[in-house]
Amino acid sequence: MARRGSRLSTALIAGLILLFTGGPVLLAFYGSVVPDRILLDPNISILDHGLSFETYRYVFTGELPASYLLEGANRSMISDAARQVPQSLWNSTRIALAAMALNILLGAPAAYVFARYAFPGKKASFMFIILSPLVPTTALVVPIYMLMQSLGLIGSIYGIILVHTAQALPFTVLILSVFFRKIPAELFEAAVLDRCTGLQGFLRIALPLALPSIGATGLFAFMLSYSEYIFSLVLSGEARSRPVSVVMAALARNTDVSWSLLNTSIFIAIIPSLVLVVLVWRFVVEGLLAGSVKG
Amino acid sequence: MWTIRRYPLLWLLPALLPVAAFIVYPVAYAFWTSLHGVMLLFPGEPFVGLDNYKRVLSSGYFRTAFLNSVVFMALAAPLVVILGVSVALFLQRRFAGSMIVRSVVLLPWVLPGAISAVLWIWVFHPSFGIINGLLEWAGAINAPIQWLNTPTLAFACVLVAHIWTQIPFAVVLTMAALAAINAETLEAATIDCRSGWKRFWHVIFPEIKAMVVVLIVYNALVAFTTYDLVYAMTGGGPGTATTLLAFQIWRESFAMYDFGAGSALAFVMVAVAGLLIVLITRALPSDLFEERP
Repeated sequence: MARRGSRLSTALIAGLILLFTGGPVLLAFYGSVVPDRILLDPNISILDHGLSFETYRYVFTGELPASYLLEGANRSMISDAARQVPQSLWNSTRIALAAMALNILLGAPAAYVFARYAFPGKKASFMFIILSPLVPTTALVVPIYMLMQSLGLIGSIYGIILVHTAQALPFTVLILSVFFRKIPAELFEAAVLDRCTGLQGFLRIALPLALPSIGATGLFAFMLSYSEYIFSLVLSGEARSRPVSVVMAALARNTDVSWSLLNTSIFIAIIPSLVLVVLVWRFVVEGLLAGSVKG
Repeated sequence: MWTIRRYPLLWLLPALLPVAAFIVYPVAYAFWTSLHGVMLLFPGEPFVGLDNYKRVLSSGYFRTAFLNSVVFMALAAPLVVILGVSVALFLQRRFAGSMIVRSVVLLPWVLPGAISAVLWIWVFHPSFGIINGLLEWAGAINAPIQWLNTPTLAFACVLVAHIWTQIPFAVVLTMAALAAINAETLEAATIDCRSGWKRFWHVIFPEIKAMVVVLIVYNALVAFTTYDLVYAMTGGGPGTATTLLAFQIWRESFAMYDFGAGSALAFVMVAVAGLLIVLITRALPSDLFEERP
């Protein structure tokens, strides 16, 4: 009896979580495969018309959906920005992967030192690192734009990579140092007895043990970069180097744009990161959980 | 040779330098701007001292925007952490389809703010939104509710959307912290504590406390400095109901081209946020900042 009750509550809670987190995204998918005239007209049933993938075809090939070729159809509802989505996905992926790699490379050593060593200036430098993200980004936009301009990095993805790396680093260091701290001190003491240097302790003990956490932290840097908007907007310049958040915002701001085209772009923009999330989630968190069960 | 003990700074510099270059320099520049009259529409940048600050602090907008931001943060940060920790605890269970739930929970995370905003506009839309649609279908309402055009409701809608975007991160970090708990500790707890709540409070919570503090501080910061959701969902309205401080900075700087006032506002915000962070970390004692031998 209690068994069945708990199974029911499990299903109920799982359903609620799914509904809250996945619901709006599901709505977007629904909106992307149903043409506007059916979607917004309560008198037409969706079941009579079936699904339509013409907006997807438009984004990738530029072939207009049939309904907009009809006479009297509102052509302004089709926005060219939707055609930039595939290129912007490629840009965003490169930027976010680079920011992720740089974050781990630059952040892990610092996090390790913060977690394991006491030295003069530790508290000050740690506070500096963790308090720096509290500066509102809107205040930083103009100075960073000028800095990037003097470096000649406007209109390329490299400037954006630099800014995204710097933005995520405080979190990388903070989170990784919490993880490094969790590693039992006895392991390092044993390493010292075996005449391991600090560098070896880092490379042979801390890094392998914290690998899942490093993956999770890297994923965080990736996400931060993927969804960042304001710096991507000012630093990207022309359409060719625009990341996906900028293109999506341009589409979203256009009040004329067709709902189904907007939803199609949203859905396409989700797919690459979805793949990454599922992959990393599998390896990182599932690996962690399996490890903890074995003890 | 390169021993960490002797040259810890060498290990820190790769992380410290980029942060300094992209935060300290711009902040110094913004500080300079806040003391000068920098307006795009007027040539010259005269030194005006604290005039920008006086103008910003005495403006009618400041009080409202400040109160809105504080209320928003006071509601959003605890809610995100409580929901995030609860979901993470729940996802410890194994059941059919638990992998699906675990992946779907991450969905809001992968979406840029502008997209999340559009998704939620779609949910709350007065004529085509799903909530009004369901309520009408159930016969609970006759006329559509103007979710995003009623001050209190609009604030609540932005809050819900904000919580939605922040939950995945809280869940991931809490799950990672939960996974790091020693299995023997958990076994002992299962034997000693029969009530689930007691087990959580006395055994599990102390183990993840450091992470919870990090999450609360982080979420307070995020809630205090968020602007893209507000920008895309309500534009600060109706009236000033959803005008948050960070959004106001954006408006001063980029809609009115008054960079001096925008920078002054940013500095006021930095000060307030810094104070809040100190208060939060004091209120929640944790071993996070303790020196360990």
